[in-house]
This record gives sequence, structure tokens and C-alpha cells, in this order.
Amino acid sequence: MQQVVNGILVVNTETIPGKVITETMGVVSGSTVRAKNVGKDIFAGLKNIVGGELTQYTELLQESRNEAVGRMVADAMSIGATAVVNVRFATSAITAGAAELFAYGTAVKYE
Amino acid sequence: MKTSIANFRLFSILAIMAFVTFSFNVVAQGGGEEEGLPLALIFLLPFILLSLFGIVWMILWPAMFVWGAVFSGAKVERMHEEANQRRDSLSKRMGREILNSIDGGYRTDVSSAGLVHANGVFGPSHWHLMIGFVNNLIGGSVTVFQQVISAGRAEVMQRLREQAEEDGWDEVINVRIDTASMTPQSSNTRNTVRGVEIFAYGTGIKYE
Repeated sequence: MQQVVNGILVVNTETIPGKVITETMGVVSGSTVRAKNVGKDIFAGLKNIVGGELTQYTELLQESRNEAVGRMVADAMSIGATAVVNVRFATSAITAGAAELFAYGTAVKYE
Repeated sequence: MKTSIANFRLFSILAIMAFVTFSFNVVAQGGGEEEGLPLALIFLLPFILLSLFGIVWMILWPAMFVWGAVFSGAKVERMHEEANQRRDSLSKRMGREILNSIDGGYRTDVSSAGLVHANGVFGPSHWHLMIGFVNNLIGGSVTVFQQVISAGRAEVMQRLREQAEEDGWDEVINVRIDTASMTPQSSNTRNTVRGVEIFAYGTGIKYE
């Protein structure tokens, strides 16, 4: 499903298994800051009293990460790359309800 | 910076007081008329809702705290056990462990590759936080937090395996696991959600 995003191959290894990289085109990145609505924050706060998984925040971070990867891929497309290798993720919480997700990698062309 | 915040607080308190007196005046003036009641409700609704929320919270918090004190330890253990069982059944089905943390390049018969990721946010209960606080004073290993985080990590790794199976990969290479706190250092320590996000990602590969 995640195999090819908009025609661009995304992997987190340094090489693409089974392919040959012919040209590197520099670092591409995408970031996003997202927050849930107040109601879900209150539910997460209630869930926090009894402990366990906070499903609202899991969903929030999953959606934001997909968006960050999408923006990185759009960045790679705009410079004419065909794949992004060595993808790394960074997360930082701004407040308890909002998080910044950052994805970066190296844009390459492969055969 | 401090003074501006203090000024802002003073201003908001005054604004709220002015608003409340104004709405009481409106209620007092329109008390005898038919239109008086809905107008008063509109003005006082935010405050009524806030106080209702406060009352509900006052009842709910101790109840949920006791619930957490009684059941949260067993719940964490059950989550860990369940993740382990799912891992065992999946490795039986696939025939082997499919996650590898080594970099790619050792197999040449790969037809396609792509990113796989899974995540989860886990938090200790308030009871666990209390025990952890006492534990911190004494020193040594804080077992309650370690249990929550290791159970969460087992769960997230199992989600990564299931995601890889769903996407049709034979194996996942170069697996990395990140742990990030959901509670920022800068926020005030009360009334914030205490949680840790565990995020696992890797490259799924398909053999020829």
C-alpha cells in the first residue's frame, strides 16, 4: 500500500533493494503540525487517568505522519526524482494536544 | 514577559466579571417578560456548562483514579501478553520472524520495496504516576513506567508486523524504533496528558 506514493518509491534503507541508484538529488523534507479538537483532548485526558493506550493521539500522529510523508514526496516530485531513500522521522510535541512531525530523506533517481 | 501575562490575566478576570454582571443585569431587566429567559440562557450558558463540567470531573476523577489503581497493573500485563501471543501466532503462520534491524543489500532477489510504519501512544495511569513519584525519591529502577513502555513497544512492533503482512511484504529490513514524549518540557506539569509515543518503521521487501 505504502510501496509507491504518487509514483515515487520511499524506503528507509541507504540503497534500494534490487535496484541501482544512478543519481542523488539532495535532501527533501516535509513537515506538519496538527492538533485534535477539544472533545478528543478531554477524552484523552480521561483515558490518561486509568492509563493504557491513548487512541486519539495514536490516530492523530498516524494521520500527521502520512501527511508529512506526502509533503516530502511532493517535494521529491517537484525536483524530478524517482525515489526517496534513507528516510528518517523526527517528532516533537509542542503542547500536549499538538505535535510536529518531520520526515526527511535523500531524493535519488534509480534504474 | 511575566508582567504582560499578569496583565492579561487581570484583564481576562475583569472582562469575565463585567460579562457576568452584564448578563445578570439582562436577566434582572427581562425577568418579567417572555423573551427574558432564552436571552439569559444564551448569556449564562458557557458558565453553566463550565460548572457542570467541573462537577462531573469532581465525581469522575476519584472514581476513575480508584479504577486505575485496582485494574491498570493487570491491564498493562494483559496487553503485553496479548501482543506476545499475536506475535507467536503470526510467526507460526509466516514460518519465521519477519522484522530485521540490519540494513539491506544482503539479498539480490528482491522485486519491490517500500516504507512500512506503525505507532502507538501509551500513558501510565495516575496511580502509576504516584507510585513512580515515590519510586523517584528512593531511586533505583522505576518498574511501573518500564512495564508500560515495554508493553507498548511489544504492541507497536506487533502492529508493524501485521501492517507488513497486510501490505504483502515478505520481510521488513532496517527496522528503527523511536520513542518520543508527548508531554513537552515547557508546558505546565498539571492538567497535561502524560504519554509516550512509540513509533516503529522499516523497509518492506518482496522476494522474487
